[in-house]
Amino acid sequence: MSETAVLSIDRVNKSFGGIDAVKDITFEVRAGEVLGLMGPNGAGKTTLLNLIAGVYRPDSGRILFQGRDITRYAPHKICHLGIARTFQIPQPFTSLLVRDNLMVAAKYGNKRGDTLELDEILDLVDLLKQKDTIAGDLATVSLKKLELARALASNPTLILLDEVAAGSTEAEIPRILDRTEQVRKMGKTIILVEHVMKVMVEAVDRIVVMDKGEKIAEGTPGEVMKDEKVLAAYFG
Amino acid sequence: MKIPRLTTLASIAVLVVLALFPVIGVPLNWLNYLFIFFIYLALANMWNLLAGYTGLICLCPHAFVGLAGYTLAIGTWVGVPFQVGLIAGAAVAALFALMISYPAFRMKGIYFAIGTLILPEALKAWFNFWRPVGNAYQGMGAGYSVKGVAGVTLGDQYWLALAIAAASIFLVYIILRARLGLGLKAIRDNENTAASSGVNIFRLKLISFLIAAFIMGLAGAAYFIFSPRIQPTGGFTISWLLLPMMATVIGGEGSEEGPIIGAAIVTFLRFLLADYGAWSLFIQGIILVIVVVVLPRGIAGLLRQVGAYRFPQKLFQAAEGKIHKT
Repeated sequence: MSETAVLSIDRVNKSFGGIDAVKDITFEVRAGEVLGLMGPNGAGKTTLLNLIAGVYRPDSGRILFQGRDITRYAPHKICHLGIARTFQIPQPFTSLLVRDNLMVAAKYGNKRGDTLELDEILDLVDLLKQKDTIAGDLATVSLKKLELARALASNPTLILLDEVAAGSTEAEIPRILDRTEQVRKMGKTIILVEHVMKVMVEAVDRIVVMDKGEKIAEGTPGEVMKDEKVLAAYFG
Repeated sequence: MKIPRLTTLASIAVLVVLALFPVIGVPLNWLNYLFIFFIYLALANMWNLLAGYTGLICLCPHAFVGLAGYTLAIGTWVGVPFQVGLIAGAAVAALFALMISYPAFRMKGIYFAIGTLILPEALKAWFNFWRPVGNAYQGMGAGYSVKGVAGVTLGDQYWLALAIAAASIFLVYIILRARLGLGLKAIRDNENTAASSGVNIFRLKLISFLIAAFIMGLAGAAYFIFSPRIQPTGGFTISWLLLPMMATVIGGEGSEEGPIIGAAIVTFLRFLLADYGAWSLFIQGIILVIVVVVLPRGIAGLLRQVGAYRFPQKLFQAAEGKIHKT
């Protein structure tokens, strides 16, 4: 493991009933970078996020966060260490106010000092005006923003973003890119799972491409887009 | 000097008036009704804490009530004063909750509900045969009388129940305004998100479960001081589940005032329909169905919807404004 790696995935495997969802995946995430995780549907991207977040436990392999083996940690402990995640389909605390959604993460997830201004986070995702709204009353686009806000509220070092731009219109993309950039400027390391190619190419430093559970390419967006295996996976 | 808030003063005033009832010569019947109301209120409050705020549909309050009752009763047979037995009963209920928590919390939602439902049945069967003290019984039914409570007046019992009910309300009030309440509501809304936001789901559920079991045990033991005889069928009867559950659902699950309103209605119905035997359950069932269909958020939800709290709230605020000015 290199010195700058925040997270390292070491030969991780996970299968569900004989189907290999994640097969022998190895890569590192460097401090302060935005790493894109790309691949066709069913490539195992979300499974991999769930393995990192502690929702699933790998069948074999290790996951190290800041040098610490977190392979068998429970989700709440992983959050305490500084990994936050968003869900592909927003999963808010529906009956709580928007600010209380953040408050849960701030009061239970933030174990590393540094009190955060929740209003600043809400402002970043354009939800400040709706902070006293019940989360269940928000529109889907706002719920996506709330996912990011809640993840930030636990003051993470590493943040796992699962398809933040999915379902957004073309016009919203620049704002999403801008927001990702601002999160990075806060000193966060980001793993970005994304289908929207524009977001992927413009937001990330490096890309790991997966197909059918395996890693088929890794490199800068430019390198990866020229890779034959990647082209084959996407265009057949 | 800081003037306490008017709502606080009003709550204290209600409590004082209720506490004075036995002294000022209120008819004994009333004390009887209110005693039962307080017991149901405490049970309903705790059921609401679990179902309404923690997302645990707990179908075993009768396990806690029965265990606490048996602990109290058996205790008095071996020389334990009933005051100690009361606390011991609640402690045993909480201990039982602790024992079942690990397997029970591995089940989610409806599976948790069904899993907990079988426990009181198992306990009922166990207490049919298990008779640790006293002479062996002929045939079924290992009943015990609660000894040494003959000198406890109805007034004393009333105060005990009032104290337990007030404590249950105060406890829920405190929990909901503390960090714990936020975590519990998060679990109720979405366990996955709660866990990934740093909430230790098992620990919080356990705290909530233990508190509920303890208070339910207290209320149960208090009932068996009032009605000093316990049998497996009476101690572990499903009524200890149905009535608090009904009170919570009719009153408004997930609201603080819901169980209070609901417990009053359930108690009222119980005495109103007492002469109709099986019909009483039938009528209560119909009322429950109507409420669930027409008022999914209970009576408390309806009151909020029509803005029934607005006027009293304004009144209180205006009054408070005046007080603080002078």
